Amino acid sequence: MDATISATIPQRKIISNGMIAMVFFIAAEAMFFAGLISAYIVNRSVADAMPVIQQPRLPIEITAINSLILILSFVTLFLFSKKYKTESKSFFLLYITIIFGAVFIGVQGIEWVNLLHFGFSTSSSIYGAFFYTIIGAHAVHVIAGLIILLYLSLSLKKDKSLESVKNKIAICSLYWYFVVSVWPILYVLVYLT
Amino acid sequence: MEQLTHHKKSFFSQYIFSTDHKVIGIQYFVTGMVMAAVGGFLAYVFRYNLAFPGAKIPFFGELSAQQYNEFITCHGMIMVLWVAMPILISALGNLIIPLQIGADDMAFPTLNMLSYWFFVVSCIVLLASFFVPGGASSGGWTLYPPLSANAYRNTNPDFWSALFSGNSMMILAVALEIVSMLMGGINFLVTSINMRAPGMTPFRVPILVWFLNIASLDFMFSVGPLIAGAVMLLLDNVIGTGFYDPARGGDPILFQHLFWFFGHPEVYVILLPSLGAMAEIISVFSRKPIFAYKTIVYMALISSVLAVMVWAHHQFVSGIDPRMATFFSVGTIIISIPFAGIFLSYMATLWGGSIRFSVPMIWALGFIGLFLIGGLTGLFLGSNSFDIYVHGTYFVIAHFHYTLFPIVFFGGFAAFYYWFPKFSGKTLNDTLGKIHFWLTFFSFNATFFVLFFNGLAGQHRRINDYAMFPSLMQEPYITFEKISTIGTIVLILSQFIFLYNFINSLIRGKKAENNPWNAATLEWQTQSPPPHGNFSVPPVVYNGPYDYSMPDRAEDFIPQNVQSEKK
Ligand code: HEM
Ligand SMILES: [Cu+2]
Repeated sequence: MDATISATIPQRKIISNGMIAMVFFIAAEAMFFAGLISAYIVNRSVADAMPVIQQPRLPIEITAINSLILILSFVTLFLFSKKYKTESKSFFLLYITIIFGAVFIGVQGIEWVNLLHFGFSTSSSIYGAFFYTIIGAHAVHVIAGLIILLYLSLSLKKDKSLESVKNKIAICSLYWYFVVSVWPILYVLVYLT
Repeated sequence: MEQLTHHKKSFFSQYIFSTDHKVIGIQYFVTGMVMAAVGGFLAYVFRYNLAFPGAKIPFFGELSAQQYNEFITCHGMIMVLWVAMPILISALGNLIIPLQIGADDMAFPTLNMLSYWFFVVSCIVLLASFFVPGGASSGGWTLYPPLSANAYRNTNPDFWSALFSGNSMMILAVALEIVSMLMGGINFLVTSINMRAPGMTPFRVPILVWFLNIASLDFMFSVGPLIAGAVMLLLDNVIGTGFYDPARGGDPILFQHLFWFFGHPEVYVILLPSLGAMAEIISVFSRKPIFAYKTIVYMALISSVLAVMVWAHHQFVSGIDPRMATFFSVGTIIISIPFAGIFLSYMATLWGGSIRFSVPMIWALGFIGLFLIGGLTGLFLGSNSFDIYVHGTYFVIAHFHYTLFPIVFFGGFAAFYYWFPKFSGKTLNDTLGKIHFWLTFFSFNATFFVLFFNGLAGQHRRINDYAMFPSLMQEPYITFEKISTIGTIVLILSQFIFLYNFINSLIRGKKAENNPWNAATLEWQTQSPPPHGNFSVPPVVYNGPYDYSMPDRAEDFIPQNVQSEKK
């Protein structure tokens, strides 16, 4: 049935299904972060000086370098999406992106362990609660992004159609761009101010 | 055609783990009805307790104060998130959108199936929360902390017992439900954007499809902050953060803002699909094109923008800067304008039409009439000076039941009676449908109209026994309580007529025609029930959805997929 019908229905897709779905999904995600961020801002505007006295200082410098790595992954992914050819199947830039993302998560994890060690926990202060919740929410998104990129690398291997390849790359990298773009906002808000 | 559309499928993949939008729609509908029975039963129990405090309740037993609180909390949650949402958004959207736009299925059938099963799991988690130690969540359906944060003083809660507490399970259930609705909403939008039949231009799309999509947009745009708030609440409960605990630098009002940023648009999320279904029904049974089609669509779009700018009218009492209060007050009153516009268009459609009082139509008219009462009392509440007086009383309870009950049940039943022949291929009994309507109509009014007076007299909601308030334990308010409870019982019993009619027609009903109501929209131009793939001949659209009262035709309407001879 499918063949006969789709032959007669002209497909009028300007933007692919997956792309539209991803855009709406990211919009909802953005609102989620907006909710967290505004809660944080409102709380800070009324709370005492933060970071709270007697609580360890956040690792601003290491995280700055770590942020650069994450932003670099944006660039490498962008180059990958521009350069990728169905014939050559060069995944080098994609793998670099994934490695950068993984390094970012790894460094974050080590920092968390250190902070916990110094007595900075979710219940040690409201600042700690916000720190772990917001940064943790972002980390979950980075991990989800990594899984999406891994999926992308696997599914590109099998895919020969240029159109579908382009579409897949566009959709998956859009998510990664979103995850990376949120980070500087969080870094400035949570670490710097 | 039969051979073409026939796929060999096992029972499981055809009826249980089906990816067919029609089956999923029916699954949502049935599950929603089951949850409605649960929510209704809870209402019966606590209503009975209000009229006869301390009495032994038939089919239940005695209701303790703690249980009372659990029951109202879960009643509210169930009715809004597990009845209104699945029936009006998921069931209606799944059943109608692909058919009305001329598509063969949803854009993402597997996602659609997943969405349903997430919903089922969320129902199970919610119902299971009644049986955990400490009972279900009991701080009111809005889940305001500190009542909803049972561990808020405990900075080191025992993780597992905190996770399996009523509050945490309620939050988890809500989260699962939201995930399911998000998958559904994205599916609706993508389907409506990309899968329309040739010729189905945006302004040939039926209003119901427009409204379902606007509702989905509203939902997706507003739910993020609620998720953020819920995550924080869950963390407060299970790992002892202090987001909502003032003693530790948190703020309970914060949750109210995050909740109502979602909560207010949510009202429109369930109002719009119901209103959309009314547009279809009113136009068909007035035999007139819907009045000011484009204006209605624009009005709904405007309302959905305004919807996210009025939420703080829920904080008039809990504390808000008076200048902000005025802003939100004005916003709230402004937002009634687009809805008044939509309602006036419906009235104008009725005006001068040759109205057919079929069963769906009387439910639709009942909806309009009752919602008017709810909407008008809502205007009173929008003004913050009046709201401060009646906040948290039965006036508010009566107000929002006059909006929600018609939306969910009058709108829902109108849609049910209208589309049942299409999806079952059977005809319902009209007389039973009419009896069902009148009994529901009168008993609903008996249940809630009297509560306006109790509310104005100062009767506060969420209180299980008024013995402590002598000024309220007097006539006529005691009698009003009894009237309301008797109304509830009749209301619930009347639904058995519906149930009987439903099942009986499924088994023994007359075979339905393909287009029993002479409607112009696409779903009526295919078989009843539609085959797998919906249309045996892919439709091409030439006309708008409401071309009724066509003088130069044998029938008085032109189906959307028929090219008119004129022009
Ligand atoms: C069978 C018909 C119904 C009856 C008899 C009924 C009765 C009631 C009553 C008496 C209360 C107030 C309880 C209290 O504050 O002590 C209440 C609360 C509520 N009802 Fe209903 N209701 C019905 C249907 C619905 C429907 C269809 C909806 C929504 C779709 C709904 C949503 C709510 C909500 C949100 C609350 C507030 C719960 C809270 O205070 O946390 N109800 N209901
Ligand atoms: Cu509101």
